[in-house]
Amino acid sequence: MNSIKNITFIVTKDCQLACKYCYLVGKNSKERMPWEVAKQAIDYILGHEEDFREESVVWDFIGGEPFLEIELIDKICDYLKTEMFRRNHHWFNSYRFSFSTNGINYDSPKVQEFITKNHEHLSIGITIDGTKRKHDLNRIYKGGAERGSYDDVVRNIPLWLKQFPHGGTKVTISSADIPYIKESVLHLFSLGIREVHINVVFENVWKEDDDKLFGDQLIQLADEIIDGGYYNDYSCSFFSENIGKPLDRVLYNQNWCGAGMMLSVDAAGNFYPCTRFAAYSLRSKKPIIIGNVHDGIDKNKLRPFLTLDRTTQSRQECIDCEVASGCAWCQGENYDAADTATIYQRATAICKMHKARVRANNYYWNKLYRKLELEDMREEFEKSKPKSNDLIC
Amino acid sequence: MLQYLIILLDETSTSFCHYENTRKERNLIPLDVLKKGIRYGMMENLMIQFVFPKYDLPQEYKDEVETIDHSKIKPIADEADVWVADEPAKVDGNVPVVLRVSKEVLFEKENEVVEMLKSVPRLNIVLTDVETFTENDFTRYKSLLERVAAEVERMYVDGKSPQINLLTDRMMLSAMNNCGAGDMSVTLAPNGKFYVCPAFYYENEEDSIGDLEHGLDIRNKQLYKLEYAPICRHCDAYQCKRCVWLNRKTTLEVNTPSHEQCVVAHLERNASKELLRNIRKHGTFLPEKEDIKEIDYLDPFDKRETWQ
Amino acid sequence: MAVKKLVGQVTPEEKNEIQTLFERRNGLNELAKILTADNAELYERLVKDLGETGAKFQGWWDRMAEKYQWESSENGNWEIDFATCEIYLVTV
Repeated sequence: MNSIKNITFIVTKDCQLACKYCYLVGKNSKERMPWEVAKQAIDYILGHEEDFREESVVWDFIGGEPFLEIELIDKICDYLKTEMFRRNHHWFNSYRFSFSTNGINYDSPKVQEFITKNHEHLSIGITIDGTKRKHDLNRIYKGGAERGSYDDVVRNIPLWLKQFPHGGTKVTISSADIPYIKESVLHLFSLGIREVHINVVFENVWKEDDDKLFGDQLIQLADEIIDGGYYNDYSCSFFSENIGKPLDRVLYNQNWCGAGMMLSVDAAGNFYPCTRFAAYSLRSKKPIIIGNVHDGIDKNKLRPFLTLDRTTQSRQECIDCEVASGCAWCQGENYDAADTATIYQRATAICKMHKARVRANNYYWNKLYRKLELEDMREEFEKSKPKSNDLIC
Repeated sequence: MLQYLIILLDETSTSFCHYENTRKERNLIPLDVLKKGIRYGMMENLMIQFVFPKYDLPQEYKDEVETIDHSKIKPIADEADVWVADEPAKVDGNVPVVLRVSKEVLFEKENEVVEMLKSVPRLNIVLTDVETFTENDFTRYKSLLERVAAEVERMYVDGKSPQINLLTDRMMLSAMNNCGAGDMSVTLAPNGKFYVCPAFYYENEEDSIGDLEHGLDIRNKQLYKLEYAPICRHCDAYQCKRCVWLNRKTTLEVNTPSHEQCVVAHLERNASKELLRNIRKHGTFLPEKEDIKEIDYLDPFDKRETWQ
Repeated sequence: MAVKKLVGQVTPEEKNEIQTLFERRNGLNELAKILTADNAELYERLVKDLGETGAKFQGWWDRMAEKYQWESSENGNWEIDFATCEIYLVTV
């Protein structure tokens, strides 16, 4: 399998929005990455090719809202392209620039110019949570007036899909969002978005009976997708054939999360195993800094990440769980929620939500395959079914 | 399973391990705390190890210490079960010695270390700066171990049975035998609180794991056990101290050793392998023990792709 | 309207070869947008590389066409699906 290194530049901690579920507890408008820091990070990374042997690289730009720093990003990308070529670096043959944006300034001239210039290497996801009602419930402008951002985002969707017809969106579900799941996913389909990556937050936000409400929403969504025939061309990551099975403790012992195999750099030039370990992402723990652009990476600090496995961090209940597959975790949230400063304690706040998802998922596939068999269409569907990656963070 | 309770009798109790105790101000453990600590040890069936300061204790403390079966860890002076030295030197007395040295002192005073080994029933060398080893230091350490092993071999041929943790422990062991802090032992500090080991206390007094009043509260206790240490559970450098304090200092996790720790332990392991082979050339030696295997790595982390 | 017809398949190794060339060509093309003749040494390297990569790219299709004898058409061209290694004849 092609190995991929994900390298994230935290270009700004500023954002136009103040989403209610945002895990970035320390957002601010002051910490913007200086060009010198970005350049030093690139020089360090490209200068240590022997430590970055992955075949491909995804240069990821994150915020806050990354496109607020489009001029810096443009300069970084130009430098990356030139340097990868000048150094004859193996990543010149396989790289992408990746963005997850709130979409508000997607149509601005500078962003559009950047897209035209780098189109073949771009992967851009616009976050839209669903219907106006659902989106504006959480994704509001900062400033305290509860003004939703839906209208400013949705006007850019046609342009985005024209430029990236396979563009997918990422939806995050918190407790208050549960009643809107079905209508939101269907709404995104109706906007022409064929891939909806959706997941529940890992934080411990769930109320009593949230799992039942969640399950009901997913069943209703399953009915709509199947009865409406969406399953041929659209995918929603809540429904996946691979989830809800027991996992052998030896054969399936790998870690879920890629922290440690990724690398993040912030405005101060510090390196992190993933953005979630930077101070602005953490509620109650100290950041885990694994080096900086001057001294390089302290490989000792990566060792726990690179040797972490499923069973060592899981409780016996999770190891023995009969529906374990597809139950995700975020190493950063595990660390943040742990009783001690460790990445070796798996948070289980999503347990009941995962179980509800598994039940709805079973329903979905049983119902879908029965329908396809009755219509004699199963074989054809198997050949051409849309694939959805279980994108979780 | 918890087996040992280490009691620091004073703020200035001697360090017998990797950590430095830089505290200079005497502050004896309050007598009532000492009594409660001893009582706790009795109730929990723990073997108590008292760590002494350099100065002489008041008589009521000496009397209290004698109320329970115990070991005494002391700077080289009067009667003890373990002596601690900060310099290699010949020692008079039939007491095992912990020698705390930096790599430079070890490299420079190799002959004195060998002489010391000849004068004690057991020598435990603790490197106080293992985390600073460089590639060059590894090479020097490997050579040093080979030369000391040759001395040990000669001593065996002469009919003696020297014990030096870096070389002879691995020959005798068939499973991991590490420090065990947090799993097999805990430490009671002069403030009446429990710590994973003395190093955790001296580094940060807020880092306690309970107190005498409420008992132990070791969060994520499992992480001090070998089964929860992904690198160590695949390792056969059985003599490694596997210092959880150094682990946390270098990798931020108590269950994960640094590269330097692993390489140093494997250089010792490999030197032990050769020593065992060489001693056996002179006759039967430890017949119940298998040879130590040849391996092609110095850091088990590098073989992680092969772990099941 | 374009018509796509499956006409063959290459091996994963062959697919990797053309995918790398495809990616390199895209990279060179996008680099060409920002590199100017002011940076003479790099610019020359780029121009040379573009030529070489283009030749290798065409060479791959010529070699594969020869090897597999895929169906062809005057008003069509072949396309490869990197995910499946399948070759399609696309006609308009």
